[in-house]
Amino acid sequence: MKLNPFSWQSNPTRRGELVVGPAMILPAVAGLCIFQFAPLGVAIVNSFRAFNPFTHRAGGFVGWANFTAVLADPPFLQAVLVTLAYIVLMLVVVVPLALALALLLDRRMPGTAIARGAILGALAASEAVSALIWNQMYQPDSGLFNAVLKALSLPAQPFLNVGWQAILSIVVMSAWKDVGLPMLIFLGGLQAISPTLYEASSIDGATPWRQFTRITLPLMRPSIVLAMFMVTLSGARLFTPVVILTQGGPGGQTSNLTFYSYAQSFLFNSPGRASASVMFMLALLVVITLVQAFALRSRQGETA
Amino acid sequence: MTAADISTRQATEANAPPSAASLVPLPEADVTGLPAIERPDDAPVPPRHDEAPRRPFGTIGLLIVAALFAFPIAWAAAESFKSTPDIIKYRLPLGWATFLPPHPTFENYVMLFTSLHFQWTLVNTVIASTGQVIIAVCTSTLAGYAFARLRFPARNGIFGLLLLTAFIPLEVILVPLYVLVSSMGLTSTYPALFLPFACSPFGIYLMRQSFQQLPVELDDAARVDGASTWRIFWRIALPNVRPALATLVLIQFIWSWNAYLWPLVIMQDPTKQIAQVVLASYQGQPNFPLDGPLFAGVTVVTVPLVIIAIVLQRYYVRGLMTSGIR
Repeated sequence: MKLNPFSWQSNPTRRGELVVGPAMILPAVAGLCIFQFAPLGVAIVNSFRAFNPFTHRAGGFVGWANFTAVLADPPFLQAVLVTLAYIVLMLVVVVPLALALALLLDRRMPGTAIARGAILGALAASEAVSALIWNQMYQPDSGLFNAVLKALSLPAQPFLNVGWQAILSIVVMSAWKDVGLPMLIFLGGLQAISPTLYEASSIDGATPWRQFTRITLPLMRPSIVLAMFMVTLSGARLFTPVVILTQGGPGGQTSNLTFYSYAQSFLFNSPGRASASVMFMLALLVVITLVQAFALRSRQGETA
Repeated sequence: MTAADISTRQATEANAPPSAASLVPLPEADVTGLPAIERPDDAPVPPRHDEAPRRPFGTIGLLIVAALFAFPIAWAAAESFKSTPDIIKYRLPLGWATFLPPHPTFENYVMLFTSLHFQWTLVNTVIASTGQVIIAVCTSTLAGYAFARLRFPARNGIFGLLLLTAFIPLEVILVPLYVLVSSMGLTSTYPALFLPFACSPFGIYLMRQSFQQLPVELDDAARVDGASTWRIFWRIALPNVRPALATLVLIQFIWSWNAYLWPLVIMQDPTKQIAQVVLASYQGQPNFPLDGPLFAGVTVVTVPLVIIAIVLQRYYVRGLMTSGIR
């Protein structure tokens, strides 16, 4: 690191900070450079390189060949569609559910602490353990859900054994586990709304529904934008439930980009395809993050 | 607290004056226009109308929500006291035995801790989590204090770059990271489990924010007394950010306790594998069903963690909000 002469360098009590400061950040900088930035750089470079089919060592540069190979691979294209399906379904299921739960918990009635504890508990449980438990409940022949359906004289469902039901099953499990985070964001947003607005509007004769659409929703817009992007990011990165519940099956119908690249690198030993598919994943996440940054900034500009 | 909250508050303040102004004349018109007898009946109704009749429904709704969200883990805990044949036998015709153990037994726990040696798996998980928490606390407090209080060139630029690593998904760097850690000769060692994620952009951000909130006068007074920068950090700043430290420890602990993908890939020695991965290997054994021990293991790994998170939810929620909103 280059030390530039600054005016406060002449101050003897401040001069020590030029040494102590960089020394204190050094462990964190070194750790993040070695274990985050360096692998990221390698991942980007590798996506343009050929790989030895036997040793899997990276070889010469092949331009966009890995990318064209991946784009010609039908399972990859399906994985892109499945990734988008997860994102859309997670948004449709999680955001309204989180908002409803936040509205329910915001009233601070008896029972609020219990419900909040249960939701936070699901959030703290690991994805792997949650998926293991839900896997037992989804079992088509002996699972709990089919036992309930049978008791209600409804037809048994295949759940994880049929593509669209498997996707929905993964989404429902993830929604159960992760709805707490957007709910906490919404609770923060709700508590920032002044109660006088509701009092004033109810004197005015506004129905609760009107209050919700005219006061709550508009004022919650920044929280909703934020929660939507967090759900989008987690939906795009869904992995553990896919591995444990379906292994990408049946017939690759639940395999998303994350699972595809994992399978290409660790199950099918195809590092070229894996590194290119990972770049598509990275591009998707960068786009989502940039849109989020832009959306939040323009919202702030509007209200300020 | 957060960007969203600030803008919400701004929106609230912007909207409040006009709506309040438009509503104020109405009660006055009521006072003058309507007979005074009807007012005591009508006026208090709207605010109470919102609260009183809804309470029982609201509480019932909350209890249903609590039951739905607690159910999977509670059910898994109940199943762990059934023998594996009982689990399979009592599941399909739905009855009380589907949910509660008809013949409570500890045999799953006995099997888990004798023939399956799950205690070593737990020790591995504790080693991995403790290593990650210790390194994360050290690196985050050091860097957080330097970024908050000390002045050196390119300080904010470096801080911004470090925060960017929070957006690098593990899935993207998985293979190069695996190659890197292998080339360091760490495959199937304990450090491989926690070293790559021990430096946490979340921790640095959280600690920087906490140190910034301490009054600068505290540092200045100590400096006048001749205390060195290190002494100010160690003796004055650090003891004053205990809640943030609790948040950091709790969140890092839960994250590393729940890690799955990285241990699955890097740990090839089954005797050093962590609980999450070992438990996943118990499922779907066709010839030798391990459903009972699976539920017992799930209970052992999850229930204490969930209870810790609920009891310490003040710190947990703060950590979640900081990690989610950068």
